[in-house]
Amino acid sequence: MDIWIIGNKAGLLCYIIAVSCFMAPTVDSWYLLTSLIYLCLNIAVPILKQSTPNRLLVVASATFTIACAYQLDPLFLLLLPVSLYELAWLLGGNKNWFALAFVLPVPLIPSPLVAIYLLVAFLSLLLHVGGHAATEKLARVYRVQEKMREDIQKLTRSLNENNEYMRQSEYTIKLEERNRLSQQIHDDIGHSMSGALIQMEASRRLLATDQMKASELLHNAISISKEGLERIRLTLKDQKPKSEELGINRLRLMVDELSAKQAVTATLAHEGDIDIITPIQWKIIQQNMIEAITNSLKHGNASGIHIEVHVLNKFIKAVVTDNGIGSGKVVKGLGITGMEERAASAGGTVIVDGTKGFRVTTLLPF
Amino acid sequence: MNVLEIHNLTKKFGDFIAVDNITLNVREGEIFGFLGANGAGKSTTINMICSLLRSTKGEISLLGRTIATNVKFAKMNTGIVPQDISIYENMTAYENVSFFAGLYGLRGTLLKERTEEALEFVGLADKHKSFPKNFSGGMKRRLNIACAIAHRPKLIIMDEPTVGIDPQSRNYILNSVKKLNQMGCTIIYTSHYMEEVEEICTQIAIIDHGKIIAEGTKEQLKAIITDTKDIWIGIKAADTLPIDQLKQIQGVMTVRHEENTIKINSKGEVNNLNLIIQQLIKDDVEIRSVEEQAPNLETVFLTLTGRNLRD
Repeated sequence: MDIWIIGNKAGLLCYIIAVSCFMAPTVDSWYLLTSLIYLCLNIAVPILKQSTPNRLLVVASATFTIACAYQLDPLFLLLLPVSLYELAWLLGGNKNWFALAFVLPVPLIPSPLVAIYLLVAFLSLLLHVGGHAATEKLARVYRVQEKMREDIQKLTRSLNENNEYMRQSEYTIKLEERNRLSQQIHDDIGHSMSGALIQMEASRRLLATDQMKASELLHNAISISKEGLERIRLTLKDQKPKSEELGINRLRLMVDELSAKQAVTATLAHEGDIDIITPIQWKIIQQNMIEAITNSLKHGNASGIHIEVHVLNKFIKAVVTDNGIGSGKVVKGLGITGMEERAASAGGTVIVDGTKGFRVTTLLPF
Repeated sequence: MNVLEIHNLTKKFGDFIAVDNITLNVREGEIFGFLGANGAGKSTTINMICSLLRSTKGEISLLGRTIATNVKFAKMNTGIVPQDISIYENMTAYENVSFFAGLYGLRGTLLKERTEEALEFVGLADKHKSFPKNFSGGMKRRLNIACAIAHRPKLIIMDEPTVGIDPQSRNYILNSVKKLNQMGCTIIYTSHYMEEVEEICTQIAIIDHGKIIAEGTKEQLKAIITDTKDIWIGIKAADTLPIDQLKQIQGVMTVRHEENTIKINSKGEVNNLNLIIQQLIKDDVEIRSVEEQAPNLETVFLTLTGRNLRD
């Protein structure tokens, strides 16, 4: 923008010099001096960045042009509107300031100059207002862009974290499972198998001499093997990790922590057969609840938060309610979108209701 | 075949999201119910289906054609009974129907035939010369329905057509919805009266905060909550209760006894009330009352959203 204003001033100054040269071809040294001072003042304006000296300079330049106009040549008044517009801009760029800057000097102008003054003032006004609007727009676009960049960064970060977390937990789960299985096989089945093997070995040796004893040993070996087989089945099938207990216990922990650390009373209830909730569902429920609780604490102004897990016939319902102020109009931000995405990954939905305090319901089908 | 397909439909009013990423299909011959509290997004969805509102995102197709690019086709095949009665009070019933049918391009004898047919259908043929300003609320509604069906649309949309009318008119309207359906129309019916939706709709979507929370037949929706029912039997005295025999009856899961009431929890799909009562009579138990506590759509809605339909 500065470059346009400088251009504006330079053009006007050139015009004034050209006109005066045309009128009186002899060089007046006073004339030269004023032009140079004007140049100095106005070049200083874009160089200085602080606002107060800047404004003072512009005011000085305006006063200087008025003084020159009265002492030397009324043509200098043509430079006045540019300085005034500049001042209007430095004062915040209100449209009224610009209008005032346009109208204010008119009474000062001697009548032969009015026409040319109005033309100059009008064209400069267009330049300034247009430039001002363009600059503003640019700044706004820049702000929006910044905000979007920030959002993208945030989302990417959370995506990365989630990916990392997923990778990590997958690995951990595999490792734990492998450990557990090998331990179990070693403890239970390994022993019984080697026992059975010894007995079979013995029975083979006794087969020729003592058939009765041999058959008894063989019988033992068979029953040990049967038992071992049964244990294998148990190990592989029945001993699933008790994820459901982990899930509800984690929520309980969360509620206790909440009551202890924040100024709210938190309560937890569950209903129905929570054993059928899978670890992935627990994770979604837990994360959504944390998000909802954060929201209640931040925006809800609540003194009590109740969380509830209810297993229905075909749905799991996880609800966080608070007794705060809620919000008549729920605006969907990153938090709600995140909850929705998590729920959607398991085919579920999230309802956020703000009419009687906040109530965030996560519904997951099973 | 799908009459209406809605795909990822979203409508925002500023920051407020009235309809949030709805996807649903309405098959031919269905009475499709939108069930939701006031402000859930039912009317907004319907206004978008009728091209009265432009969607922020998503697509709607009617009979396989996108309505955004086939506005005329879509309008020709849709009949709408809006929430607020929209008829001209200073035109006769006949003129009203004929005017609306005329807007759909019917002319001449066809227009006359269809107008009479529509008035006949809603039971206003004898009132065709009367002015609607003298009509009751129910009659105005019926006239409004006649205006919507005269051009024989494939899809009829009824937005809360039973609000503020007397019980007779309400029954009449519900029956005519069924009749229209039997004649081959597909119907979308919105209401926050759970009983109506339960009575007439073959497929139901529960909407809350602009989202479809659950969709299915009423049985499927009820099964979301539970697949059991409670039977409460009030008795005079509880001296000779055949609790063990009751437990033997097919479908019965638990039998509890509280003062003068037997509370039986039984599988929902088994109809064993007769057997239970027979058993009680055999054991000389005097029955005072029998109550079956099956879940209804209201409880489904309440359980899923934590709110009442009429909140």
